[in-house]
Amino acid sequence: MENIVPLELMAAGEVGHVVQVDGSPEVVHRLAEMGLREQVRVMMVQPGRPCIVAVGDHRLSLRMDEKAEIFVALTMDA
Amino acid sequence: MPLTVAIIGNPNTGKSTLFNALTGLQVRVGNFPGVTVEKKIGRIKGTAQPIDLVDLPGTYSLSPRSLDEMVSVNVLLGRQTDVGKVDAVVCILDASNLERNFYLACQVLDLGLPTVIVLNMFDVASTRGVRIDIPALSKKLGVQVVATSAHRKEGLDALKAAIASAVPNGPGTRPHPFPETFYSECHQLASKLAGLCRSDAPSFLVERALLDVGGYLETEWLDDDNAAEQWRTALVEARTRLKDAGCRVPAIEAKARYAWAKQTLAEITTIPSARAETLSDRMDRVLTHRFAGLLIFAVLMVVVFQAIFSWAEPLMGWCEAGQSAASGFVASQLPPGTLRSLLTDGVVAGVGGVLVFLPQIGMLFLFIALLEDCGYLARAAFLMDKVMSKFGLNGKSFVPLMTSHACAIPGIMATRVIEDRRARLATILVAPLMSCSARLPVYTLFISLFVSDSPLLGLRGARQGLTLFAMYALGITAAALVAAVLRKTIFHSETPPFVMELPAYKWPSPWIVFSRVWDRMMAFVTRAGTLIFAAAIVVWAGSFFPGDHSQEFEKQRLIEAAEPIKSDLLLQEARTVEALDKLNQRISHAAWENATERDDILKLTASTQTELAKLKAKLKPFEDASDEVNHMRASLVEQSFLGWLGHLIEPIVKPLGWDWKIGVGTLLSFPARELVVTNLGIIYGLGQDVDESDQQLWSTIREAKWPDGRPVYGVPVALSIMVFFSLCAQCAATLMTIRRETNSWRWPLVTFSYMTSLAYLAALVTYQVAIRI
Ligand SMILES: Nc1nc2c(ncn2[C@@H]2O[C@H](COP(=O)(O)OP(=O)(O)O)[C@@H](O)[C@H]2O)c(=O)[nH]1
Ligand SMILES: [Mg+2]
Repeated sequence: MENIVPLELMAAGEVGHVVQVDGSPEVVHRLAEMGLREQVRVMMVQPGRPCIVAVGDHRLSLRMDEKAEIFVALTMDA
Repeated sequence: MPLTVAIIGNPNTGKSTLFNALTGLQVRVGNFPGVTVEKKIGRIKGTAQPIDLVDLPGTYSLSPRSLDEMVSVNVLLGRQTDVGKVDAVVCILDASNLERNFYLACQVLDLGLPTVIVLNMFDVASTRGVRIDIPALSKKLGVQVVATSAHRKEGLDALKAAIASAVPNGPGTRPHPFPETFYSECHQLASKLAGLCRSDAPSFLVERALLDVGGYLETEWLDDDNAAEQWRTALVEARTRLKDAGCRVPAIEAKARYAWAKQTLAEITTIPSARAETLSDRMDRVLTHRFAGLLIFAVLMVVVFQAIFSWAEPLMGWCEAGQSAASGFVASQLPPGTLRSLLTDGVVAGVGGVLVFLPQIGMLFLFIALLEDCGYLARAAFLMDKVMSKFGLNGKSFVPLMTSHACAIPGIMATRVIEDRRARLATILVAPLMSCSARLPVYTLFISLFVSDSPLLGLRGARQGLTLFAMYALGITAAALVAAVLRKTIFHSETPPFVMELPAYKWPSPWIVFSRVWDRMMAFVTRAGTLIFAAAIVVWAGSFFPGDHSQEFEKQRLIEAAEPIKSDLLLQEARTVEALDKLNQRISHAAWENATERDDILKLTASTQTELAKLKAKLKPFEDASDEVNHMRASLVEQSFLGWLGHLIEPIVKPLGWDWKIGVGTLLSFPARELVVTNLGIIYGLGQDVDESDQQLWSTIREAKWPDGRPVYGVPVALSIMVFFSLCAQCAATLMTIRRETNSWRWPLVTFSYMTSLAYLAALVTYQVAIRI
């Protein structure tokens, strides 16, 4: 079963893949250009506001607002 | 005819490194007309046919959201008249992260231009174990693919050869990533558009217009209001139809292009799956830590600022020496007169006064370039985002605001990294509130004059240090408040999500650092130099005319003619003083053998004293003459246009505790605030050779009186002046920079008005409160 959480709630070291990116079309578009889009694998490097996430080999620093949210399906270890 | 080749790529893929390696130093830097985008064109070295390389700003995509971003698209489509037709495009990708970079590659290939794909950072990809079948990729894309490691200059020859043969090779295979319904909508839109503006738009632009919701092509493309409205309606309808067909705009673009990327790269690359924690991650664990990271950051900032001030000091000394040498040279070549006054008081003093700050600016940029190139600056922005977001700014505003503590001009130029237009404007508008190095002379003068250096808690100079700190804090606080107000009012918008890439740490490359520092220093010299030059002449003229200076010049000529006599007398005086000192010492130690020797010594002392008195008397007329010239100058200034203006504004500045001299001195310092120190000197009739450590200016200022005999200056007035200068917009070069960067006169005017009002009110409150306690 998938455990879906907002990206901001991921704990350090948790891994998952993005299932949904909400927000204004512009924001979603921008995030996609920077590599944050549905299906990509992400890892929370440092939680907080802003947080640092690993997207592929890139590190992005990210602060979402009320209107934008990224949902991640956590990968269950073991 | 040289070929024109544009170069494009994601940020941090090594675009600048490649550009520099290919072109060497034959680069022309300018601006694209009407926007804030830098235009950089260089000739490629060592090719049979001349090739001009046009650098475009680093970007993650070709979707134009603003006029600035439209420039890249216009250049690529050959619609930018000052560049002309682009023959080919070089698209630089990061080989270690190919799939993501392929988003931009897909858009570039969609342009249908002859293309060369560069897989840069190939060394990094190889060490990570990424394997790429380049011939197969080249075949699939229908364009040449070249692997390079730009920082080691590897693969450059192959790249040059590929660029040279790109045009005959022709464009590659179009990716065609979207479903057919999308293309048929585009087709309809194209005919609609042809009807609206009676000209054919490239299909690429039509596709972009459909894809970029709220983008430039949707909102600002058509001038005619009616046509623009119809165009928007057509776009909205097309998007609705697409959505119903299961193809939502703009999500479809990421979906389609990444799908294309995945499919294209499927059998061509192998990427090792296990990804160990990198060294960068381990460093980040400390450097972005919420406490340790902030602490390291604070220490680093203190070190940087300390270094800027202490290391730049000797260099600034040389600049000042050069300036007075230049004045001296002019004075030795020209007799006193209007021309000489123009050259020394206007040109040399005005331009030199600004060039003095070049070492500090160079030093600051050296640090910024080092920190940026090693990847730390992005972390600093990350750390500061927490604080900045409280005031409606974001982490990216940090570097511009930090830079503004040396000088607002480079600070404002550095705001280009902020994509959100409103956040960028807010940052530009508050950047000049930071206490820049030009405020330092003003602070230094008034603090040393009026703030006691008696120990506080056992620390000597602590009061003075605290006052200086308070002035810096005032600037920062005002900036935070103004930014918060701006973001709530005229720049109101949702704080957009903050997304910023944190590049991996690495050793800074000396060449990149050097060229950045060099570029910025040259920009400062030419931009500030030309403006200050003009402004200095205007101010000089305002204080020089319409008075009759013939008497002053006559007197000055006499003084200079008698200069050899005067210096001879001064030399004698110095020798006599020295002799007298020695004698006095012997007397105080009773260093004699017998009474006769003692009498001799006493006699000698007496005669030396009379001789000194005589010398002093002989020197007196010279001093009187200098004083007289200074008085003449002072009264000529009073009768000049600016003097007239000064009396006109006196009622306005009086509530601040200022007399007309301070008022006009401040007004005169409009081109550059540090000029106020010089101006007060001129106005108080001391001649122009004044700096903040000048004893004579100190005492004259302390003793200045109102006509009714009350002293003009006191702690309240000094505070009110300092507060005013900390908040005012007395810097024409900054205002010009704002105009350049925002491409409108509106924002420099807004900046000037709000800062001047704020400075006036704050100075008023300061003075009125200070005289009551
Ligand atoms: N390892 C490696 N580093 C590179 C390569 N090309 C550039 N760099 C470094 O990557 C950093 C970013 O390069 P820069 O040219 O400023 O990238 P731009 O933002 O695309 O202009 C610089 O510090 C370069 O020294 C490369 O092929 N391999
Ligand atoms: Mg660059």
